[in-house]
Amino acid sequence: MFERRLYFHIDWLLLGAVLLIACIGLAMIYSTTYVHLPGGGGRPGPRFWVQIYAVGLGIGALVFFLAVDYRFLAEHSLFVYCALLALLVYVLFGGVRAGGSTRWISLGAFNLQPSEFARMVLALILAMYFGENRRGARNYTDLIIAALFFLVPFFLIARQPDLGTAVTLVPVCFGIAFLAGLRVRLIVIVAIAAVLLAPVAWKFGLKEYQKERIDTFLNPGQDPRGAGYQQIQARITVGSGGLKGKGFMNGTQGTYKFLPVADNDFIFSVLAEEHGFIGVVSALGLYLFVIIRALEAARLAKDRIGAYLVGGIISGFAFQVIYNITMSAGLAPVKGLTLPLMSYGGSSMIASLAAFGLILNVRMRRFTN
Amino acid sequence: MPDDRRSLTTRLTVIQYVIAVLFAALAVGFWIFQVAQHTRFAEMAAENHLRRLPLPAPRGVLFDRHGKILVENQNSFNIALLREQTRNLDQTLSTLAHATGVSAAELRETVSRRKRDPSYRPIVLIENATRAQVIAVRARRWELPGIEPREVPSRYYPTSDMAAHLFGYVSEVTEAQLGRVEYEGIESGALVGQAGVEQAYNKFLMGAEGNRAVVVNSLGREIEELEKHEAVEGEPLQLTIDADVQRAAEEGFRHAGFNGAAVMLDPRTGEVLALVSQPAYNPNNFATGIDLKTWKALIEDKLKPLQNRALQGIYSPGSTFKIAVATAALEEKVITPEFQVHCGGGASFYGRYFQCWKQGGHGTVDMRRAMEQSCNVFFYTVGNMLGVDRIHKWASALGLGEKSGIDLPNELKGLVPSTEWKRRRLNEKWYAGETISVAIGQGQVSVTPLSLAVMMMTVANGGTRHTPHLLKAIDKGKGWEPVPAPAPKSVVKMRPSTVTAIHEGLWRVVNGAGTGGRARIEGKDVSGKTGTAQVISLTGARAARGKMDVRHHGWFVFFAPRDNPEIAGVVFAEHAEHGSSAAPIAKYAMETFFAKKEGRPLPTLNAPPAAPVPVPADEPIIIAQPTTAAVGGP
Repeated sequence: MFERRLYFHIDWLLLGAVLLIACIGLAMIYSTTYVHLPGGGGRPGPRFWVQIYAVGLGIGALVFFLAVDYRFLAEHSLFVYCALLALLVYVLFGGVRAGGSTRWISLGAFNLQPSEFARMVLALILAMYFGENRRGARNYTDLIIAALFFLVPFFLIARQPDLGTAVTLVPVCFGIAFLAGLRVRLIVIVAIAAVLLAPVAWKFGLKEYQKERIDTFLNPGQDPRGAGYQQIQARITVGSGGLKGKGFMNGTQGTYKFLPVADNDFIFSVLAEEHGFIGVVSALGLYLFVIIRALEAARLAKDRIGAYLVGGIISGFAFQVIYNITMSAGLAPVKGLTLPLMSYGGSSMIASLAAFGLILNVRMRRFTN
Repeated sequence: MPDDRRSLTTRLTVIQYVIAVLFAALAVGFWIFQVAQHTRFAEMAAENHLRRLPLPAPRGVLFDRHGKILVENQNSFNIALLREQTRNLDQTLSTLAHATGVSAAELRETVSRRKRDPSYRPIVLIENATRAQVIAVRARRWELPGIEPREVPSRYYPTSDMAAHLFGYVSEVTEAQLGRVEYEGIESGALVGQAGVEQAYNKFLMGAEGNRAVVVNSLGREIEELEKHEAVEGEPLQLTIDADVQRAAEEGFRHAGFNGAAVMLDPRTGEVLALVSQPAYNPNNFATGIDLKTWKALIEDKLKPLQNRALQGIYSPGSTFKIAVATAALEEKVITPEFQVHCGGGASFYGRYFQCWKQGGHGTVDMRRAMEQSCNVFFYTVGNMLGVDRIHKWASALGLGEKSGIDLPNELKGLVPSTEWKRRRLNEKWYAGETISVAIGQGQVSVTPLSLAVMMMTVANGGTRHTPHLLKAIDKGKGWEPVPAPAPKSVVKMRPSTVTAIHEGLWRVVNGAGTGGRARIEGKDVSGKTGTAQVISLTGARAARGKMDVRHHGWFVFFAPRDNPEIAGVVFAEHAEHGSSAAPIAKYAMETFFAKKEGRPLPTLNAPPAAPVPVPADEPIIIAQPTTAAVGGP
């Protein structure tokens, strides 16, 4: 299955950049969760070690998804898709509940969050559908079939409830549909329909806390200690970093818990605080490099399945990165959306690295038949 | 499918560009926050986690002249509000009210009163919190952001209400005080002396507030201390007070069942040995923040417990004024000690008949006997010979109608009339007939207890009117440094013959057939004089009967021993009817003073009051209205 010569076609630059981002994330988690003991000294918090294991497992997943031919996976994508749906259904009934939502399956030693893998699986099945069956996606029928593949996991995840993660499936769909040739006019129509449906969704679809989040985003100053608090603290965190930052482990906003979930949703704010604008630009550059470089893999792919797969994965990835970073500067409504490769979170890390395994896979096998 | 391939490539390029543009927009956004608006956000971050907390300074400890602690500090808890950390102030206050049992309205009132303070300064909501309140607040700290119990030094008066008026009390600096020069540098919410020594020497006692700069987390919990400026404790002061004499004088009042005032001085220096005003209040109630109910009760009390009667009570001196008249007559050489007057129970002056208190009269009396017997006719005669202005001159020299200059705030002064005074004040001529009643301490004459004590001191030491003072030494960190006594207010060299004659007369009051026998101490040659001050006029008394206490006040002024006096003073007993009832209080205080000096066990008052030494007679009420001239007559 794995021929030796393929080894020479691995995109080491992309792999290196991905792992570098993961290491930056580790450093930031180390900084925000460091436990200061009374009387000086301290030790890394437990989350740092958990994240190290997650990176380790993630690299394992990356190697696995690199080794198995993506075409083989695509051919069995329906099976993988059904397995995912089964897991998501199981989560709703037998999942672990925490913080008001049920997202996890308990595996004893750790909890697994299946929704994190939904993007990759959706990309796989849509790439297979559009790449194999038709010459691209041209008409409404294609769109409706694609929509069905998308809607089932979307609702299962939204039901947890985890609207943030569910929404990240949308760019995967659009990315693949766009690459598959969906008319721009059609995309515009769907976009307009979404805008028109938004008030309806607002009225019937959103939960109170979700409405509140969007409300406070539009007007964060009205209740600085309430729901707008996180947003204002995020801006303070970022803004106080300045050009050069306060220095590694010298941040105050995350360490003293003014900024909530600093190691998770707001990890980029902490990076901005401790390493300043210079650190921000470097990190943005790394992410942009990874995205552009990955899209090169789509360009080089030997078949449409590969190209669509990479395009779908990267669309979801780029959307999540951009949204999270916007939010971390207090410029978008707060959503429980992690920053892929950096935020604390085992499932997210493993899923992200696995996805990059697939991307490397596509590029590596560009010459095989 | 090259066509298809080209389309794919184009669309990939589109995606790449879109993403690149979005990233560029993000970079611009971060540039705006991190570079353009950095200063503003950096300040906000610092406000988030940096706090400067005041460290209250313990006040200087007060010692008595023998080194006994009079006033010290203890630790108490208060519950304070850090407004910066509260999210919903109203709800927090409600929760706090519920947890501590304090009314929410009261808490809100406190907060609104301090609304204009800088927001980083904690507002003390509950002073002297009980253990239960502190525990309740700690247990609910998650619901009470910005509320924290703090341990603070608070003033402690171990003897409760002893010498309350002398020590004074502390409470939060008032708005009006903050604007004044002597309170410069004191911040709102600070505790300052509001009466007595606490106020007079506030500057020494207050010390300097320290502060700590700390890092706190989002719950306001302290994480780390960045710097600390220790509070500087106030300077310890040694007072001239003798705690035992003070206690004895107060016990004397309680034992006799009177309110009133007493002042005891060292006639050689002007040092105040004791200063009493009864009824008193408990300054401990103020130390930790007085509650509204207690405060209202204090200011509405008809007995005026907050008034320092020794300095602020103005009363008619009655017969004690005769000492000033005698001094004036002898020093002005109007009479010699041997000068004699016949008392037939009264005498006529300027067409009016003035009674002596003794029906049938004292017969022929000289100055000593007249003093002993408090013969009015003798002093009418001598007063008439002197004229009001010479009485005024000598009364003033002895400190009457003047401020003593004691180092306590808000001293008032009485009045000794003169022709000059009457012309200026009433624009009227002085009538010689008015002098007659002045000569026995009636009429417009009024004094404070302290000024009578000063008179006795001056008479005792032969003319030096020392300034009464309370501060003996101060410890600025290198042990006790004596504070030099203030300069005497005036010095008149009284002739030895005058001094001897007056001392002899006063000695006889106590040790002879006079009215002061109840102050007699074996071997101590106590010399003194009683006096009676009427509360209101006779006619007024009839009208007010049953509505208020119209019984006369009693005076006893004294020094001892007769030769080389070591203690001089006054006891003023409200509604004691007669000065002889005030004498035992003075006696007990003097006994304590001498016993302590000689190392004997201190006397006690446990036994029922000794059978009173027979009092020869009572003094009369001559004058009806203090503001009018002498009345009376056949």
